[in-house]
Amino acid sequence: MVGSGGLSASEAAQLDRLEDQATHGGGGAWEYLCLVRRLKVRRPEPVLRLGLSLLNDPKARSKLGSEEWTLYEQVAVAAMDCQNIDVAKDCIGILKKKFPDSLRVARLEGMLLEAKGAWAEAERAYAVLLETNPNDQLIHKRKIAMAKAQGNTTLVVEYLNKYLEIFMADHDAWRELAEIYVSLQMYKQAAFCYEELILAQPMVSLYQISYADVLYTMGGLENFQTAKKYYAAAIQLTGGKNIRALYGVCLCGGAINQLSRGRNKDEESSELPALAAEVLTKEYQKWAPEKLPLVAEMLKSLKLS
Amino acid sequence: MGGSDDIKFEISQKAYIKLVLHALKHPSMAVNGILVGRLSSDTTTVQISDVMPVSHSACALLPPLQIAVTQGEEYYLKEGELNVVGYYHANERYDDCELGPAARRNGDHIFRDFPQAAVLLLDNKKLDHLIKEKGRDPAVMLFTRDSSKGWRQVGSEGTDKLVLKEPSAHALLADYIASKKWLEIDDFEDHLDDISKDWVNPNLFK
Repeated sequence: MVGSGGLSASEAAQLDRLEDQATHGGGGAWEYLCLVRRLKVRRPEPVLRLGLSLLNDPKARSKLGSEEWTLYEQVAVAAMDCQNIDVAKDCIGILKKKFPDSLRVARLEGMLLEAKGAWAEAERAYAVLLETNPNDQLIHKRKIAMAKAQGNTTLVVEYLNKYLEIFMADHDAWRELAEIYVSLQMYKQAAFCYEELILAQPMVSLYQISYADVLYTMGGLENFQTAKKYYAAAIQLTGGKNIRALYGVCLCGGAINQLSRGRNKDEESSELPALAAEVLTKEYQKWAPEKLPLVAEMLKSLKLS
Repeated sequence: MGGSDDIKFEISQKAYIKLVLHALKHPSMAVNGILVGRLSSDTTTVQISDVMPVSHSACALLPPLQIAVTQGEEYYLKEGELNVVGYYHANERYDDCELGPAARRNGDHIFRDFPQAAVLLLDNKKLDHLIKEKGRDPAVMLFTRDSSKGWRQVGSEGTDKLVLKEPSAHALLADYIASKKWLEIDDFEDHLDDISKDWVNPNLFK
């Protein structure tokens, strides 16, 4: 089953196993830290803890060779995430000594200003860097992150839109913008973002489901009918097992039933929700039987069983 | 049907701790859930005895909340004749103490069936302070509403509109934080991603 964070169940399990192992003295800290980088997950506490233990061990550090510097960077970012400014400062200081003219290190210095809440200084630092590197993607991202941290949602939306004009293939940015629009209840704009994502990556069920969620939240017969189609597409993409999509089809079926009360019901259109209800029931029977009565009751109230 | 001006609220340790643990599990995201309990027999107090954590990535979308409320209502009614009595929300950012539009809208969803509903917004700064001082007050802002008006904050420092039933809550919470108990709590979205995860969290405090 795929988690909502984009990690597969096996990836999440592997990550947890390594974290557990390294935490309890079983080694594998470096493997864990590499996996965190590869999967791009955010686990600042263990990264800080395990990364520091490696860096403070001269033998372990020398074994890393040139990867040592990557580790300093990774630990610096984790430290900032944990609000451990001192550790971050130390790591960045070491990197600055080794790579005095590096843009990458300069960005970290900017991030440190952010972590300290020195927004104006960070803004200035990034502006300087952008003069010589106008299309640096990561600096643009930091500007957006800063606006977000300061709660300036209007600015975030503005920056993200500008960013996407340049970096239109950045799917994470489209998702981020969609989620912000949703939080502002600007559903039409959120829907537009998901439409872009679905066009770009039609095989990713997450986008279909999120799009359908937005349409369902907007409400109205047409939106329920479209949402149902996209939940159905997600069911197909995931071999019929995605619980959110199955529920989604059922909810849409129920909502459409309610709105079409008294009118001729389209036999064909009630087939899919009934089928989804059946699959949902089977899944619960298998994996969460004690919850089955609740699900059955809900499906009955939606007039699907 | 009058407003909730005279109603008091009492939240159990169990409910309060679950709420905080849920927020702690997802520090960089907004979380929400529903409050479960009942109106006291003398109708002066809404007793919040439990919470059902719902979302951590889709707080402004309807489907997870709708399904959670439907099943939660059914479950808690059967289990202990409890009703859905409110909604809780914790904002994404540490210093954001505003009850945003999505939270208000979600609160309305609950209010429709329970007019004395409370909306609780986690106050992060206060939480830090209260855990350190082992304080007596819950680190949440209380909102209630009238049919004609929107959600308004009730009470402030020192009033007893919302009390923590057990005084030991923050001491216990400090222990749980030290042992990273938040890792064990599952919300309704976790359940949707893996239905073997139980949003009732029956073994959380065992």
